[in-house]
Amino acid sequence: MEAADLLALLDQQQFRRLRVIENLLRERKTVSTLYWGQRYHLLYLVGLAKKLPRGALDAPARELQQRGFITVGETPDQIRLSPAGQAAQAQTRYYQPQTQATWSQLDLMAARQRILLAVQVVSQYAHSTKRYYPLTTDLETRQAVRRWFYQVKSARLSEQTFVSLQKSLEQLPEATASVVTALFTGYQQPGLTAEQLAREQQRTPWEITLMQLDGVMQIAGDAQAEDQPLTRLLRSVWRSPVTRSAQQTLAAMGQGRSLEQIAAARRIKPSTAREHLLEAAILLPRDQFPYDWILTPTMRQEFANVLTGPIDDWQYTAMPQALQDRYAFFYFRLYAIWCDKRGVEDA
Amino acid sequence: MLEPLTTSLEKVFGFNTFRSGQAAALTALEAGQDTLAVLPTGAGKTLIYQLYGYRHPGCVLIISPLLSLMNDQVNRMHMAGFRRAAAINSLTSYSERQEILRHLGDYQFLFMSPEMLAQPQMLAQIKQLQLGLLVIDEAHCIVQWGPDFRPEYLLLGAIRSQLQQPLTLMLTATAGQTTRQEIAKQLRSQPQIVAESVDRPNIFLDVEHVENEPEKQERLTQLVGQMQGPGVVYFSSKQQATDTALSLQQQTGARVAAYHAGLSSEDRFKIQQQFMADQLDVICATSAFGMGIDKNDVRYVIHYHLPADFESYAQEIGRAGRDGQQSIAILLYASGDEQLPLMLGQANRPEAETIHRYYARPQAFSEEDAAIALLAFYRRHGISEAAVIQLFSRRERERNRALAQMLAYVREPHCLRHNWLQAFDEQSPEHQADCCAPAGMSPDLAQLGLLAKAKTAPVDSVDDWRARLHRLF
Repeated sequence: MEAADLLALLDQQQFRRLRVIENLLRERKTVSTLYWGQRYHLLYLVGLAKKLPRGALDAPARELQQRGFITVGETPDQIRLSPAGQAAQAQTRYYQPQTQATWSQLDLMAARQRILLAVQVVSQYAHSTKRYYPLTTDLETRQAVRRWFYQVKSARLSEQTFVSLQKSLEQLPEATASVVTALFTGYQQPGLTAEQLAREQQRTPWEITLMQLDGVMQIAGDAQAEDQPLTRLLRSVWRSPVTRSAQQTLAAMGQGRSLEQIAAARRIKPSTAREHLLEAAILLPRDQFPYDWILTPTMRQEFANVLTGPIDDWQYTAMPQALQDRYAFFYFRLYAIWCDKRGVEDA
Repeated sequence: MLEPLTTSLEKVFGFNTFRSGQAAALTALEAGQDTLAVLPTGAGKTLIYQLYGYRHPGCVLIISPLLSLMNDQVNRMHMAGFRRAAAINSLTSYSERQEILRHLGDYQFLFMSPEMLAQPQMLAQIKQLQLGLLVIDEAHCIVQWGPDFRPEYLLLGAIRSQLQQPLTLMLTATAGQTTRQEIAKQLRSQPQIVAESVDRPNIFLDVEHVENEPEKQERLTQLVGQMQGPGVVYFSSKQQATDTALSLQQQTGARVAAYHAGLSSEDRFKIQQQFMADQLDVICATSAFGMGIDKNDVRYVIHYHLPADFESYAQEIGRAGRDGQQSIAILLYASGDEQLPLMLGQANRPEAETIHRYYARPQAFSEEDAAIALLAFYRRHGISEAAVIQLFSRRERERNRALAQMLAYVREPHCLRHNWLQAFDEQSPEHQADCCAPAGMSPDLAQLGLLAKAKTAPVDSVDDWRARLHRLF
């Protein structure tokens, strides 16, 4: 990631923590990281750069600081845009992903690998080439694509694949369709690297990646919506954004049991059960989480009386002691998530 | 009774005749002789163990040092029609490794990194296999890399004993007498040696001295601008390969890309394939590039940095002119260039004092330091302090000797080829005008037919995506 990529993720009002952004990209899904990811509207970044080294955003942040684009908050880790940074952000035509709202429902990286290899395999098949170097991918992708290919192999496969890919890409901006296509590998087309495309399009390699992910999401979404060759290949890469374990805790909650009962039955610590619920609350739409069962009307009223002003400024330890004694941090955090999801304006 | 070798060759590969060295190596192996095959790059070393594996039962286990290359090798096996091939190394994911281990007995060809094989659990699994042949690929790494970077290579001798001394094929493109002896000693074997000359008469050798770094950049740009591609420029640093690729592209208009181990496997794949498909004129590479590249018409190889030894230099210039056509290897040298390989060599080398303190109190040191990790490795394998100190000082002497040899080449006033071949204990032909240009003389690129004929088309650009998509299918 370069300075320009980080610039696009910052805000002029909200201080954002560099470590949170880094942990989202690296898929370090602690409740705190997810909560702040939600507050920053950056949850779509989860797991997009699993191999990003720790501290990889420090250098871009320093560069932004040297150029006077950011100001630092209470701790050096908290940054937001300066007026100059805001102007710079407004001036650049940084790529805005179109499909990011649904990214958490798909294992994007796996889908990307599968689509790339499938395109190569079908392209070579279309040109009757039997011996070629396949893209280097993990075993799971190779096996999935091989199984799929033998299931769907037919005289019309390449035509059908072409038609559905074209249809999907037409839903996206022209520039995105170009990038996604240029990254494909196939018969007599090695494909360009993100670096090469970035240079040509005068964008950053990270933007090129975001464009490609838009393509992946569009293709996967269309394949789910109607039956076409890629449908079978991509069926198994859809997933819930919530971990399996958290889903189980949530389901148990739905059966009307208390947190302590669930923890005992599932042999997990009550604190873990709480984390599961917070994770689910953050990652699921509001109507898929039983807020009403946990946050009683009294509780909400009591919180509402003391928690005013921007959500980001709320502090558990700043609440009256009596309230803290009555409600654990868990309820405080869940209330904040609920308010956030309701779109309560940060007064 | 086995069918004749040539019959198998014809059946499997469709060739009528062996390239030189292949048949001799196979014959020696089939007579039960461990074999050290010193065959130049492009001589078809892989075919030797492929054909052996085809003709004999049991698993062929190939130990290969380059992780990034291993998957390529497996792909090449698949391309050649050998489906039962797999690779296990530190890049292999846990689930993939489990999957391979479950079917270990089914593989005909198994590629493995030395560090993987050195793990006791892995070794125990391998012991259960019926090994037909053990192959040590890039065997010169035993000598070149062993003590500095890949201590596991030093264990290969012991591992070989634990595997009951299976029939062993050692493969390398370049090894002088000393290196050959060292390989044999490390592997506890008395192999039959099958060697072909490292000389490549169609590669013109050239050394050019420049004043300093800016002048070197300028000369490189000039050469790349003038010469007929495709070409490869080697660097010792990833960053410099990347930066220079960009500036060469801007200044010469040639289609240039960088290639190094820091790229993702997808990018490495694409760059390699672009180069093979003539969509690139120049690759700015580190030593990660090369092994496994089948491109016959590389016209020039330029070294921007001084290689650490002749073995690597010979390997790298060997990528040029595999089609037998006139090609050139140019080494750019500015005085002081030897500092870089010296520094790289010393980076992992602990001082005698440190070794002493480490052995006195190992728990006081952090193994995150590469040099300490190396000491810890030796200590765990029961190598004494004195032996380690001796190992490092001997290694340093060897490195210095190898570097001095490179410098002598750079300063050679008469015949570079003579100097080069001498390092591999070979006789050289009489010096002629089309042989080489030592420092101070410039090669006549026009005479050699190496000047660019016509400007190449611009980089494959993003045209209409619909047309592009249509071409794919």
